[in-house]
Amino acid sequence: MTELYATAIFLFVLFALLGSSVWVGLALMGVAWVGMELFTGRPAGDAMITTIWTGASSWTLTALPLFIWMGEILYRTRLSQDLFRGLAPWMRWLPGGLLHTNIAGCTIFAAVSGSSAATLTTVGKMSIPELRKRGYPEYMIIGTLAGAATLGLMIPPSLTLIVYGVTINESITKLFIAGLIPGLVLASLFMSYIVAWHFFKKDERPEPEPKMSFGAMMKESRFLIPVLVLVFTVIGSMYFGWATATEAAAVGVIGALTLATLQRSLNWETFSASLMGATRTSAMIALILMGAAFLSLAMGFTGLPRALASWIDGMDLSPVVLIAALTVFYLVLGMFLDGLSSVVLTMAIVEPMIRQAGIDVIWFGIFIVVVVETAQVTPPIGFNLFVLQGMTKHEISYIAKTAIPMVCLMLLMVVLLVVWPEIATWLPDNMRQIGR
Amino acid sequence: MNDWQSVMGLPLWAFLFVIPTLLAALSLRFRTTALKIYPPIWKILDRVYIAGGVLAATFMCLILLIIVAQMISRWTGTTFQGSTEFAGYAMAATSFFAFAHALNHGAHIRVSILLNINDFTRFWVDAGATLIAAITATYFARFAVKTNFLSDLLNDRTQGQDQVPEWLLAIFNMFTSSPADWGTIWSTAGSGWVYTPVWLPQLPMSLGTILLAIALWDNLVRLLVNGKTSIVSETLE
Repeated sequence: MTELYATAIFLFVLFALLGSSVWVGLALMGVAWVGMELFTGRPAGDAMITTIWTGASSWTLTALPLFIWMGEILYRTRLSQDLFRGLAPWMRWLPGGLLHTNIAGCTIFAAVSGSSAATLTTVGKMSIPELRKRGYPEYMIIGTLAGAATLGLMIPPSLTLIVYGVTINESITKLFIAGLIPGLVLASLFMSYIVAWHFFKKDERPEPEPKMSFGAMMKESRFLIPVLVLVFTVIGSMYFGWATATEAAAVGVIGALTLATLQRSLNWETFSASLMGATRTSAMIALILMGAAFLSLAMGFTGLPRALASWIDGMDLSPVVLIAALTVFYLVLGMFLDGLSSVVLTMAIVEPMIRQAGIDVIWFGIFIVVVVETAQVTPPIGFNLFVLQGMTKHEISYIAKTAIPMVCLMLLMVVLLVVWPEIATWLPDNMRQIGR
Repeated sequence: MNDWQSVMGLPLWAFLFVIPTLLAALSLRFRTTALKIYPPIWKILDRVYIAGGVLAATFMCLILLIIVAQMISRWTGTTFQGSTEFAGYAMAATSFFAFAHALNHGAHIRVSILLNINDFTRFWVDAGATLIAAITATYFARFAVKTNFLSDLLNDRTQGQDQVPEWLLAIFNMFTSSPADWGTIWSTAGSGWVYTPVWLPQLPMSLGTILLAIALWDNLVRLLVNGKTSIVSETLE
């Protein structure tokens, strides 16, 4: 019975600290300390530093700052304009017209950046005013953008997947490659929604775009081609086993710097801004990971994960039911926490559970990203909604409403992943890999 | 509890936790006096935080260089011993040095539901959260420093293949000894390379966590004195 009390206190402290707006990383440390004091006689402080030091100085983690930096550099270049100008000529032919630039732009930027907020701003900065000018309905512009920006977390490089991989000690390269097809499937789901809008809401269609010669199209997209080359180099080098995730990130940073230099948008100011921005974001994630590492050590002593895993095992749930329950769980959690925090916070408990149930951890990584992404566009705490609010000055509730079809499509994606797990597992199973 | 040995008649935890809390409380009570004393200190501290951030950024460039060197050495068939360990050390240094800088720029995330209710909660919830965070960070720093000292005392060496030159260790030894001993340090330091002693890469952990703890206490005091937080978050990170 004392065990039960201790567990209750532990969980209470967890929610109290997080809820009282203590910074997430430090809150996790505080909770972990309470757990250590309640459940073991081991000296908490020394165990804490040993765990944190091992995690903080690990080679696997070095991919994180470099991928963030790569995205930061491109975020500060003229890429935003080039994306729209380069994509628009190619998208005008599709039913649904230039709305597709939202999806395609997000997909491309997602492949150089691991954050959905950066994806959203980069693409939205240019596409919102241009699409408005051409008379596309506001709810379609905002909704498709809110949904497509979440691709930033899915298409490699993805910060959430790095954090997931580091937390459960799985290959980041494999996770990245696994995210590729689901990301593209999700993008095509969004695109088919736009096509459906085109055919069902005929009266909302804007004027068709003027004709343009092939040569002019190539000329408009000449800036886009180097970015695509960079994307294929970074992802390809991981897929063909030429480079580890960290090395691919280093190639990405150098490529991004070269690209920015060629564009003449690299000067000391943008360079240092990208460097300092990347340093801060990477420190933010590192602090959360440290807190999570200590928390999962403490969790191990509480016996909570093992008890829960055997409880789930004893209930003899089918994996489908388990996944459905976890989907609901993460959606609820996502109402209060951001994506990264909800992943690191729960993995100590969820990992033994899914391993026990025989669920593939690589597949689960992709699943968790889709669900966490969905939470990014649902109120009250949806990070993408806040960013869009800042950009468009619409009410959160309006933006959330426009994103509802996207949320449904993402939930459909979860179903697709459950029905055909190969969407996520086929590519990583067939790739060549070196080390980590 | 030998973790909290007494210093000048008071247990160590009193110095680390109680005195800063009292200081913060006094700052709240005597705001006008505090506003005369603190600003010069704040100016210095702000520079220190930025210096930490710049140092962290330097280490991030170092990660890039180490990894590029590693790739080149693999292609050319030479070996770069311990490259993964060095990259790991640089990673740790990047994270730890940047903590305080990231805090002041609002990069660290928090659940802000309670904060955003009204101005009253914005002040008091923030004050409470910063106090808890400051105590946690101080605890973190205290044990980081302890572990760092223990690594030196037990002469802990790396488990990898990474080596550092002895002159580098000698330079750091100079900081911890009196100038009278510097001659002995340099005469005993060989010109060879030794397996990295763990205390060396752990130094950024000690310094960075101390800086984070100071930054949090500092933020608490500034919040209490100024009545509003001094954390300026960027529109997008």
